Amino acid sequence: MAGPATSLVKRARPIVPLRRSTTEPPWVRRLLTGIALVFFVLFLFVPLAEVFYEAFRKGVGLYFDALSTHDAWEAIKLTLFVAVICVPLNTIFGVAAAWAIAKYRFPCRSLLLTLVDLPFAVSPVIAGLIYVLIFGARGWWGPYMNAGDHPWLGSWLNGYDIKVIFAVPGIVLATLFVSFPFVARELIPLMEAQGNDEEYAALTLGANGWQTFWRVTLPNIKWGLFYGVILCNARTMGEFGAVSVVSGHIRGKTNTLPLHIEVLYNDYQMSAAFACASLLAFLAMITLALKSFIEWRHGRAHTKAAL
Amino acid sequence: MSIHAVNIRKTFGQYVALENLELKVPTGGLTALLGPSGSGKTTLLRIIAGLEFPDAGSNGRVSFHGEDVTNTPPGERGVGFVFQHYALFRHLTVFENVAFGLRIRPRATRPNNREITDRVNKLLELVKLPGLGGRYPKQLSGGQRQRVALARALATEPKVLLLDEPFGALDAKVRKELRRWLRQFHESIHMTTVFVTHDQEEALELADEVVVMNNAKIEQVGPPQDVYDHPGTPFVFEFLGNVNRLYETPLPQTADEPLVPPGAVTYVRPHDIELRREPFPGSIPVVVHHVFSAGPWARVQLVTNHTGEWLDAEVSHEVIERLQPKYAQLIHACLHRPRVFVGFPESQPTPPAAPKA
Repeated sequence: MAGPATSLVKRARPIVPLRRSTTEPPWVRRLLTGIALVFFVLFLFVPLAEVFYEAFRKGVGLYFDALSTHDAWEAIKLTLFVAVICVPLNTIFGVAAAWAIAKYRFPCRSLLLTLVDLPFAVSPVIAGLIYVLIFGARGWWGPYMNAGDHPWLGSWLNGYDIKVIFAVPGIVLATLFVSFPFVARELIPLMEAQGNDEEYAALTLGANGWQTFWRVTLPNIKWGLFYGVILCNARTMGEFGAVSVVSGHIRGKTNTLPLHIEVLYNDYQMSAAFACASLLAFLAMITLALKSFIEWRHGRAHTKAAL
Repeated sequence: MSIHAVNIRKTFGQYVALENLELKVPTGGLTALLGPSGSGKTTLLRIIAGLEFPDAGSNGRVSFHGEDVTNTPPGERGVGFVFQHYALFRHLTVFENVAFGLRIRPRATRPNNREITDRVNKLLELVKLPGLGGRYPKQLSGGQRQRVALARALATEPKVLLLDEPFGALDAKVRKELRRWLRQFHESIHMTTVFVTHDQEEALELADEVVVMNNAKIEQVGPPQDVYDHPGTPFVFEFLGNVNRLYETPLPQTADEPLVPPGAVTYVRPHDIELRREPFPGSIPVVVHHVFSAGPWARVQLVTNHTGEWLDAEVSHEVIERLQPKYAQLIHACLHRPRVFVGFPESQPTPPAAPKA
């Protein structure tokens, strides 16, 4: 007779876990993870480790010597200068573009969205060439910039002599172009997902546009904004192609750090090149660490919201 | 603070959301905008709030107590708006959410910290959330969040309270509680209130006046009893409560109920059907198809004997015990208070499923 006793006996047998048909077998999981890890190690970890190894190979003293040559120091300063200008500007542009695109509907909205993505689609070399085309001595606006040469504009502008190409302004412009999308692209989906309701609520409570932005919108996007800014900074400091075209490679004047590394490499000063490259590698690692930190914080905020 | 919206027309591109409406809400009234999704009720509410504007050329006007506020931004109209999904500021505590409207006032009109604290605490007690000031919205349940949204809207002492499907996202029990709370609140404060809902039970229970909307138009306006008992159009009849629709069955001629004219539809409420075993004055023969007796009422599914149309009757269990209706049994039904509509689009019959004899 079936009863509680028989079910107890049945349960005494060891329970073999059934593999659910929706999960893959363990060996598949391990194989895929293994492939990903191998890829990661070969293409990311080993080159990074190689950079540091080569940088310190001739000793720590030579490492710091390489970093403190006049050209290297000027390159570092120029890179920082460009970053200090480009990152805040692109943050403001990015927030403004994301705000307009996400919160409003207006006639040229899709055009603006496409323009935001344009620097990604365009090769960095082309980006640099654009500026040469416009501001170069034989470009569209070039003659007006070097107005001293121009027949009647010259006297009117009192002999302005603005050098854009092969000078720092050109580098700033080119870097602005290539690093623009990061903040905007990070914020647009975030702001669209958050919707407009909180802003409308603030309006009904009497807030004006600035108060709504500062007290409601900005706090909601702060992690996305931070993420966008560090990506923008990473690109700004590491940009090579566009800057290479517009800079003119004048040592000590118009070389950013990536350009300086190329110069050292072409001069067969390998250790020095790797020493400078290690700075960029440090920057990459800090960027990744910050990115992970944000994902951790933001991810935590996300799971709390899903109550 | 009475509300008067006139000539309101709103289109979004090709889509007409509101087609030239007029709405009047008396001071201190509690009005429900009732209708199915897409009827335009939320758009109308947002136009009253100032979150949307009537179409540019339409001469639409919104006035509060005679004062034209059509071009006034929402912050200056003195409205309190409660959103369907609460729209609480997620990065602020409950206390700061409620205090928001007071903190952003220009220095001249801003109350000092102590006053703000007092007012916020009073409001939190009013909505029965004392002591939750330090929590964040994500730590609250749906019903609590809704009450915080109400408190926040009331903090600025608005003249008009607007609620967009305030209880739509809540479960039935919490909804009933909050409904009761809102009714009591309105009785004590008498603030002019307009709320949007698609739940006809909610509208009929809460409102002083119901505005039934359909397809960008207002179908009927009136107190709940009027709108339920004397619906003006088939849509209103069908939207509020259950209906039976008859296209071909002529009803026995009595002093007040005429024969069914051709091209017309007759509406009868299920609970207005009287059932007896034997024929009686005003009755028609019907055949029993099914009896559902679980619940407070018993439902009897019937087929008219001569014309084969379906009828659902709601009767008390006592009637069921008396009649003991069985499948295919012939009994007699009198359809009280039928309404006949001619010339409406709903008059065209949709082919009913063939009843099995």
